[in-house]
Amino acid sequence: MTAPPVLDVADLHVEFDTFGGIVKAVRGASFAVHAGKTLAIVGESGCGKSVSVQSIMGLIPMPPGRITRGTALLDGVDIIRQKIVNGQDVRGNRVGMIFQDPMSALNPTMRVGDQIAETLQVHRGYSKRKAFDRAVEVLTLANIPEAEKRARQYPFAFSGGMLQRAMIAIAIACEPAVLIADEPTTALDVTIQAQILDLLKALQARNGMAIVLITHDLGVVARMADEVAVMYAGEIVEKGSVDDVFYRAAHPYTLGLKAAMPSSTTSKAEGLRPIEGTPPDLFAPPTGCGYFARCPHAMRLCGPSHPFRFDVDPGHEALCWLHHPDAPGTAPELHRRGQA
Amino acid sequence: MTALLDARGVTKHFRIGRGQTVHAVDDVSLTIAEREIVGLVGESGSGKSTFGKTLVGLYAKTAGEVYLEGERLPDRYKPADFQRHARRMQMIFQDPYSSLNPRMTVGEIIGEGVRLQPDSNRVATREQVDNWLERVGLERGHAARYPHELSGGQRQRVGIARALILKPKFVVCDEPISALDVSVQAQIVRLLGELKASMGLTMLFIAHDLSMVRYLSDRMAVMYLGSLVEIGPSEEVYATPLHPYTQMLVASNPEPDPRSERERATVPITGEIASPINVGRGCRFASRCPHVMDVCRSMTPELRTPADAAPSRRVACHLYLPSAQDPRSA
Amino acid sequence: MNTVERFNPLDFEPVVIERQVHAISRPSLSYWQDAGRRLRSNWRASASLGIIVGLVAFAIAGPWVWRVDPAAQDIDQISQAPSLPSTALIVEPSVPWAGVTSEPIRAGQAVTELRLAEPATTQTVRLVWEPVLGATGYVIYRSIYDPAPDRALGLPLGDVLGAQRASYEDRLDLDPTRYWYSVVVLDASRAEQDAYTTLVVDVVRAVSPEEAVARGWASDTAAFGVGDQITLPFHPLGTDYLGRDMLARLAYGARVSLFIGVVAPLVFVLIGIVYGSIAGFVGGRVDQLLMRFAEFVIALPFLLFMILFKIAFGIGPGESGVFPMLVALVILDWPPTARLVRGQILQIRQEGYVSASQLLGAKTGYLVFRHMIPNTLGVILVTLTFAVPSAIFTEAFLSFIGMGVAPPTASWGSMANEGIRTMLPHPHELIFPAVFISIAVLAFNLLGDGLRDALDVRMRGRE
Repeated sequence: MTAPPVLDVADLHVEFDTFGGIVKAVRGASFAVHAGKTLAIVGESGCGKSVSVQSIMGLIPMPPGRITRGTALLDGVDIIRQKIVNGQDVRGNRVGMIFQDPMSALNPTMRVGDQIAETLQVHRGYSKRKAFDRAVEVLTLANIPEAEKRARQYPFAFSGGMLQRAMIAIAIACEPAVLIADEPTTALDVTIQAQILDLLKALQARNGMAIVLITHDLGVVARMADEVAVMYAGEIVEKGSVDDVFYRAAHPYTLGLKAAMPSSTTSKAEGLRPIEGTPPDLFAPPTGCGYFARCPHAMRLCGPSHPFRFDVDPGHEALCWLHHPDAPGTAPELHRRGQA
Repeated sequence: MTALLDARGVTKHFRIGRGQTVHAVDDVSLTIAEREIVGLVGESGSGKSTFGKTLVGLYAKTAGEVYLEGERLPDRYKPADFQRHARRMQMIFQDPYSSLNPRMTVGEIIGEGVRLQPDSNRVATREQVDNWLERVGLERGHAARYPHELSGGQRQRVGIARALILKPKFVVCDEPISALDVSVQAQIVRLLGELKASMGLTMLFIAHDLSMVRYLSDRMAVMYLGSLVEIGPSEEVYATPLHPYTQMLVASNPEPDPRSERERATVPITGEIASPINVGRGCRFASRCPHVMDVCRSMTPELRTPADAAPSRRVACHLYLPSAQDPRSA
Repeated sequence: MNTVERFNPLDFEPVVIERQVHAISRPSLSYWQDAGRRLRSNWRASASLGIIVGLVAFAIAGPWVWRVDPAAQDIDQISQAPSLPSTALIVEPSVPWAGVTSEPIRAGQAVTELRLAEPATTQTVRLVWEPVLGATGYVIYRSIYDPAPDRALGLPLGDVLGAQRASYEDRLDLDPTRYWYSVVVLDASRAEQDAYTTLVVDVVRAVSPEEAVARGWASDTAAFGVGDQITLPFHPLGTDYLGRDMLARLAYGARVSLFIGVVAPLVFVLIGIVYGSIAGFVGGRVDQLLMRFAEFVIALPFLLFMILFKIAFGIGPGESGVFPMLVALVILDWPPTARLVRGQILQIRQEGYVSASQLLGAKTGYLVFRHMIPNTLGVILVTLTFAVPSAIFTEAFLSFIGMGVAPPTASWGSMANEGIRTMLPHPHELIFPAVFISIAVLAFNLLGDGLRDALDVRMRGRE
């Protein structure tokens, strides 16, 4: 990649004050996404993937939450410190966001067209008339049939898939440079999910926007992503191109995830191999590797020592001691540097 | 193989006032052989959950019969009927958060079935409960815990123990993993597989995750808007779907394999699921089907084996009837 | 972060991890134990609970500990403010007094040397003065306020006619308080002069031995002698306008108010539970019918029915009227609870664990009592706790407007009603019952709040 990334997040640390103590939800996440490309952040619930992007966007209430370290550069400006750039709020304008539950993201007492028009009026200073016309345009772009009529309807008249599309329309109305999609299809039927994903891809091709896609579904990652970041217990344990991560997985957790999900190659004979155990308690995060307790290839130093970030291949890195030159060759299915 | 469960023409309609009827399940016939796992897939609104509940008697049938081991089951269940059949047929529920009574301990929940049987005694019940706790991967100490102290996966294990403690022969699993985390899903699926093998269970596995159903079940049945549209061996149905809806489903299902995803031909996915209220005649998929013909709108297709196909495969589609003019090969 | 650590080959040896035990570290708490813990940590609710326990103890034990008849009238201490016990002086029975006369020596507008002939007691106040030349008589005034600023002399007690008259005896309704006696000269034309002379008199309560026995303050006349101080019945919180002991009335009133306030809600909540459970569980037509009837009951006018019940029960004077009020409250207040319980039952019916239990062979009764009702208990308890202050207040209100308990039965509301009449001169008669009502209502409300916080919010998504 020669062009600089559109969004570049470095060393993000987020923690929360709770009754039981301080929860370190994100412990040093770094990722970047380029124009026209999709970065997928994969992980299970509680790994910190949603918290990462929500904290960057300022959606986490900051009294219980805190960003203790890290930068998020959007075109060179750190949007963690500064949400207003050139007199305009970055959110909704340069960065769009869509969420898992469209019903709660849309105001039930406002017409859908007005909600889209609102973002245009605020960020672009359009007049009401012009904003509404553009809203209808955007609804059409989002594959909503009879957009003119739909724009005048209220959210309750929309089905689940259409609501999601309406939310996408709001997010892309100002033609953002980055679209953040936080589990956009988790609650949808699989056919609707396919439609939404195809729509996102089409919009990306049209606008050249970068997409950050948060999900727990490896199938969705395989379909959509160019780059993948695997997150576990608040850290990014593996990062690389989608082919790297799927075919040359370099972290035991990635291997574990793949083995736990059925695919067309999973035979009944081998069976699914679930990952035993549960994720670690983030009240007292482990000092060593977060995956230590569940890793079938754990070594003695993995418990006390936090692993370095190793470059496995160009553009492909993993947070695992198995990549240390002195590490034994156990775990043959783990891809190491220099292997084919 | 002997058919353990034989459902014939099971229909369930709900009346919702002002003369409207919701056709949740319409004329579904299905046989499940002993020790077989049949997966039932469909999207929201397909009626698969309603079918499962009607099968075990939680809903009264509007029409149709269900035979378990040759014996006809009641159309409308009274508590005595449930008691009698509790040892033969059970259900594992979907939402682990609402399927356990928050006021009861885990031990009480699991042991409930045993205690409700007329010939139970406390000591034997206690032993059985402890036994089952270990069998589903929990600890004996968990018996005194309350559901809110357990994680989703653990709660689902409790639900499984509750259903299986009476050693039924047939179990309906109503979306047992949908509400769970991905890595926990695999744990539960593996547990179900183990228990099925060790107890010789026959299962109806209801889910919307095609990949999981394909992995776990022997045969796969696809439902759309209350009717069965296709049925056959799981691998075959997934690899070569015959019904246009199944094709759409399979095409939408993302595989965790980037290369195959890139090479996959995009199948146009049109429209959204229609309303199950006051469904008329004709194929229900007609409004979205890319291969729709005139006959589709007037006549409801029956589930039958197309020519040139193995007898284990059945499709409800006019494309495969001998009278179809469309030059598609089956 | 990038400290270069020297590793030795041993570090890279594989470690076998014990299969992670699904350990749960926190001790197991049942729903109720946890709710109790939360309740205790809420200081307002805990304090309210303490207050309620105190009130109940007061109602139950009060009349046992403070054995005073709430209907007994102490004429001597009417409308007395809360005070320490009063004493009375034992004196000889008063002997008629002839009065004093003397020749006037000086002339003047007003009398001089106005003084008491003997210590002033509640039996009699005897005034003497130096007469004035030219006076045809004197008028004697008595006031409980100082007449000085605007010549408000007060109550005219009477005239004494005659130039030599130099005394006056006052036996009119004497209270052990401070009086200002003023004497005005009547001139030749029997007109009052402007000038006046004032004497401040502090009257001491006094009683003869026979009177003391007659009023029940002592058993016989031999127990004491003249000059002794005898203690009057003690009214720590004072008395009301009829001389009845406030503390005793409050304690008995607590019984009435709390009885109605707690028993009525208990009964109508119970009715509501049964009614709502049936409606929610059976559903369909039966449910519709039952709910329509409940709505009909809500529409009935409460006050009208109270009156009807009073008439129907034929409460005569001297009867308490507690029972009709109870009946009215019960009959008219159950529908909201029924609706609430029905809603809960409808919701719970759909929960997975009810279906699961059905499938395991549970009978209807088992389902309702073992599964549904325990899960509605939280809501029911909160409803109950909020229904109590409402009932207490309703009873107070009804008694206040005269539709509640009949005199002499005390209830806080009827006491407030009576206290209104003497609100300005004797505020204590109103303040005490009003404060008790307020505290009881507040305490139950706070407890209800605390219970709701402790019992709700639980169970869901404690992942």
